[in-house]
Amino acid sequence: MQATRFIHEQGTLRLAAFEDDLLALLPRLRRFARALARNPADADDLCQMALEKALLGKASWQPGTRMDSWMYRIMRNSWIDMARSRQRAGQTFLDADAGADIGVDGGAEARIALSEVDAALHALPDEQREAVALVLVEGLAYKEAAEVLDVPMGTLTSRLVRGRQALMARLGETL
Amino acid sequence: MSIDPALLMAYADGELGPIEAKRVERAIAADPALGEEVARHRALRARLDGHFAAVAQEPVPEHLAAMLRPRVVELPARRRTVRMPAWAPWSGAVAAALVLGLFVGKGLPEQGVVRTRDGQLYAAGSLAGALDQQLAANGGAVQMVVSFRDREGRYCRVFRSQPADGIACHEEKGWALRQTMGGSRASTSGYAQAGSADPALMAAAQELMAGDPLDAAAEARARAAGWK
Repeated sequence: MQATRFIHEQGTLRLAAFEDDLLALLPRLRRFARALARNPADADDLCQMALEKALLGKASWQPGTRMDSWMYRIMRNSWIDMARSRQRAGQTFLDADAGADIGVDGGAEARIALSEVDAALHALPDEQREAVALVLVEGLAYKEAAEVLDVPMGTLTSRLVRGRQALMARLGETL
Repeated sequence: MSIDPALLMAYADGELGPIEAKRVERAIAADPALGEEVARHRALRARLDGHFAAVAQEPVPEHLAAMLRPRVVELPARRRTVRMPAWAPWSGAVAAALVLGLFVGKGLPEQGVVRTRDGQLYAAGSLAGALDQQLAANGGAVQMVVSFRDREGRYCRVFRSQPADGIACHEEKGWALRQTMGGSRASTSGYAQAGSADPALMAAAQELMAGDPLDAAAEARARAAGWK
């Protein structure tokens, strides 16, 4: 057997920009997924699905535009697909509480607080939750969030205000 | 003065221009309840921000990160001096070195994951399914090590599994098994470990390969196109 070599060096250079940028975004994408999905396992399945789509759709990515907005859009569409296909298959998502305390350090108090926020978020209709997730969790400006969701600004703000009022009512005493 | 709830929210988020912001500030000065509402909006943002900050700080799961890392596959150097005829890639010294039964499928069960057609062995069942669907980044009962195109432009994939490791190339009739060897490296748990395949198998892949192995994006595209 002759000496080994690394055969992929060229490819590594060619791919570095796109995939490194995605890799750097991954923590934020996981955070967004966690706000959309009901538990950490579903959230990471969602991430995987979105990353597969992003890799497939790499050609449609325009360098110089915002990759985070592009990925949020892919992830949000993946979430809709995932929810639909599970509905068709008659599967239900795991209960929010089932995964709520996974991966969290801290005592019982932290876990209780965590499930409270999660439960409040998941009581929202999807369209309000995604608006809340983009603006309050991901920190997008209204205009950016409206673009990701492909809705007019007025629609975004009305979803956001309704979602927030519901959250404030539910979490009121602990805010 | 009445203030629309959406306007108040936008003020709390710093989304208003200076003129609108002034208008809201005047209304807040006249009505402390509006100021409290603004404080609640900001408290909610801080609460969600704090809640999800931990997620962004968690280490990213390896199976997700691996999808984005260009796969560096360690392969033996291609032999430049001896070019095997395409019709007999496994003849002679190479085949001997590989300790392979030529399409005999030693160690491969005769049914389940293999079928024969016109004297050729094809992947079937769960193996065919994994070859069709599984990307190299994802583990499972069958592990995809690397995908590539051979000199005829066919997509080929190196796989590892409990019954057998091998190379399968996509043809009209399915995944033709070009190479199999007993899955000696597969773990007893039935879950193939990621990582290096048998060096002999990788040498065989290297001989078949035209160009470089597929990167993650190319592999996903090939899968989407049905490996054609």
